[in-house]
Formats: sequence, structure tokens, C-alpha cells
Amino acid sequence: MALDDPHRSSGDRPEPVDTMKAPASVLHEAELRAGPEILPCGRPVSRAWEQARRPAGTPVDPHTGTCTWCRQAVEGLTALDRAARALRTEEQPDGRTLAQRVVDAVRAETRLGAMLLLDDPDQDLHIAESAAAKVLRRAVDTVPGARAISCRLVLVRGSRAVHTVALTIAAALDQPLPERAEEVRGAVLHAAHRGLGLRVTAVDLTINAVLEAPRATVDERSTGGDL
Amino acid sequence: MRYREDRSRRKWAAMRNRPGPPPPYEAEFRPAPRPATGSTAARGAAGGPGGSGAPDDLNDGMLAVRASEGDDDAFAVLVRRHSSRLLALAQHLLGDRADAEDAVQEAFLSAWRRLPEFHHAASFGTWMYRIVTNRCLNVLRRSPRPLPLDALPEPAAADAGSSPPRVCEGDAATAALKRALLELDPELRACWVLRELHELHYEEIAHVLGTSEQTVRGRLYRARRALTEAMRPWR
Repeated sequence: MALDDPHRSSGDRPEPVDTMKAPASVLHEAELRAGPEILPCGRPVSRAWEQARRPAGTPVDPHTGTCTWCRQAVEGLTALDRAARALRTEEQPDGRTLAQRVVDAVRAETRLGAMLLLDDPDQDLHIAESAAAKVLRRAVDTVPGARAISCRLVLVRGSRAVHTVALTIAAALDQPLPERAEEVRGAVLHAAHRGLGLRVTAVDLTINAVLEAPRATVDERSTGGDL
Repeated sequence: MRYREDRSRRKWAAMRNRPGPPPPYEAEFRPAPRPATGSTAARGAAGGPGGSGAPDDLNDGMLAVRASEGDDDAFAVLVRRHSSRLLALAQHLLGDRADAEDAVQEAFLSAWRRLPEFHHAASFGTWMYRIVTNRCLNVLRRSPRPLPLDALPEPAAADAGSSPPRVCEGDAATAALKRALLELDPELRACWVLRELHELHYEEIAHVLGTSEQTVRGRLYRARRALTEAMRPWR
């Protein structure tokens, strides 16, 4: 019998009596507060509690059925459970204002990553990798049934402004993956060339998660909105 | 497929504390607390104010990867998803709303900076629990403060002569429990709150507190012993 049976999410292993007994030194404080560890009937409090949390249908042992001390111990636990349940279902504090403050602070210390050269004639315009990656992830998200996870841009060895994109995505299985992968590649290349003006020669694609349902297109209006 | 964790789904479901329909603004501001690989339609999911954010139908693991690469929109979704629950945790540990907000804000900023080193050994949610709990315990260690008596209502005295309506009695019991919690040793309090109010497993609590499951069981037992005693008038 698990001592935490009242919880939906419990399902833990049983809690044997001996593991519940803390060493005497650490028990001292609890004993001071809550009375002796062994009930006057000779049973440990933990044993009485186990009886209280036994799975439905398990017979009550004869001692617990008649012992006043054990019953009192059980009533204490029941009262605590009741109050805990009430506290658990209390309204959570409204974290929205806090969330906005956190988001503002985070945006103020954006991690830029490497600076990448754009494919302009003079080759003197740069874009932060994190900003470029964000645009390319958004391009992936516009493909139905696809969501970007990781997106890294890598400079092709020996070049100044030629890049490859290493992409990890989640994809739905409602159409063959190769087709979807091609759509994703197309969207990424289009966003890189037309949206950013970045020269990308290859998109290395890894699908490492499955979306359970086909996804509609994420509204394209905001793609590139962060540049 | 490593993002499709049944455990996290169960936890999300279990932690949805809000009874009844959410207020109308919530839908656009805060995504429903559920794993993202569910079957919700994604149209219009480019959520977040202004529509420029990451799709909020992504699950925490995917968002954390995006955030670790510097995608602040993805992190914003995570912040909105977790802030209320973490604020509730900090409030139960610290007993004070302003202190709790500070702790959670600092925890999120620390998480943002440390995300590139986050290796998904635990879920993002458990990782945040760990950062927030540590921060709260540090605050309590730095300045062990007297119980803020004004912060919580007095429990109604267990007056034998009166029989208050059941609902009031319940409120008083809840208030008494809150007060008793703040009198507990912080380490015991953290264990009990994570288990009973946030319904974490022993294993997760051990991870959050950086200790063993055995220790967690011991602390939980001691916390229950002290709290049952404090709840004696409500038996």
C-alpha cells in the first residue's frame, strides 16, 4: 500500500515500514512536535497510516479495527489529506504580469550567436545567427504537418558567406515524409534567399519527433517579423 | 519520438488546478497547460501577443531546444506556460507574494542563460522546479524570517460552542495548514509541497532537491507528522 494513494499521479511503489522510519536523530524534531513515534498501543504511527492508505477492498487488520490510538492517528492523517486537497484545488496565483516582466527582461538580453554575412554584392551586411535561425524556424512552421525544433547555420568551409542549414523537425505522418521534407527544404531555402538574402547551399534535415495530427499552416504574416 | 512522454502528459493533466472555464483572455495569452503533441489544431497557434511568437502547440522539450538556440519567442511560450504554477510553488515555500515573484523571475532569467547547457536529463518543468526551489531555499537560508503572521488569515478558533458552515470550516482548515507549513523546516516544507500540492513523484522530488528518494520519504514522513499535529483541531 502506498502512503500516497489518494493522488491520481501517484502509482509509486509501496512504502515499507522500515524505510519510513527515519533515524532517531532526525526524528527528534518531529517527535517534539507531534508526540512519540510509537503509539501507546505499541504500533508505529507509520503502520497506522499505512492501514489508512490501504487500497480499497483490502481488509482492515483486526487491531486497527478496534484500537483507539490507531484510529486517532488515522483521523489526523485524514484531516491533513482533506486540507491538502483543498489547498491543491485553490486558484493558482495569476502569473501573467510576472510572465510579461520575465519575457521583457529576456528579450533585453538576447543571445545573438555568431554573426553571418549576407549575400549582398559588397558582403558587408551581417545578421545574427539566432535571428536568422528564428526566421528559418518560422518558415518550417508554415509547412502543414511540420514544426521546427533545432536550426543551426553553418558556414561552408573556405567560404565567407555560403552556409548550410542543419535542421531538426517534428513531422506528422499523414503524408510520406520525403514529400514533407522537400516542402520544408523549399520553405527554408525560400526564406533564406528571399527573406534574408542569405546564401544557403544545403538544408540537412533530421526528423526526430512525430506530430500526432496534421498541422495547419501557421499564419505567414509574422514570418521575418523579428528582423 | 522522445518528446512524446506519457509521464509529462499525466503530470500536466494532474496539475491543471483551475476549475471551471478559464477567463476569456486566457486563451490568447496563456496556452492551455498540456503537452503540445496533442491533437489541437495549429491554426492561429503562432501564439503570444502580436502573433510573432513560436507556435504554442509545441511541447516543452521542443520549445526548450529552440530557446537554447536563442529563440526568445520559444522561451516566452515556456514562461507563460509555467509561471503560475512556479509562482504558486514559491509562494507556498516563501509565504510572501513579492518574494515569490522575485524568486520566480530570477529563476527564469537564470534558466534562459543556462539553457544552452540544459541537456534534457529531466523535463523542462522539473528543471524549473529545481531552480525555483533552490532559489527559495537559498532565500530562506540567507534570511530566516519570522512567520509573516499578517500574510495569512488567523485560523478560526476551534470553538466547541459554534458550528460554522462547512465551507468556512474548510477555509479555516486551509489557512491553518498554510500557517503550519510556514512553521515547518524549509527542507521538509519543500518536500511536502512538491509531493502534495504539485503531485511530483518521489524520484522527481529527489531530483529537484538534489537528494535521494530515501531522504525524500523520510522528510515527507516528518512533514506529515508535524502537519497532522497542527491540524488536530480539524479532525
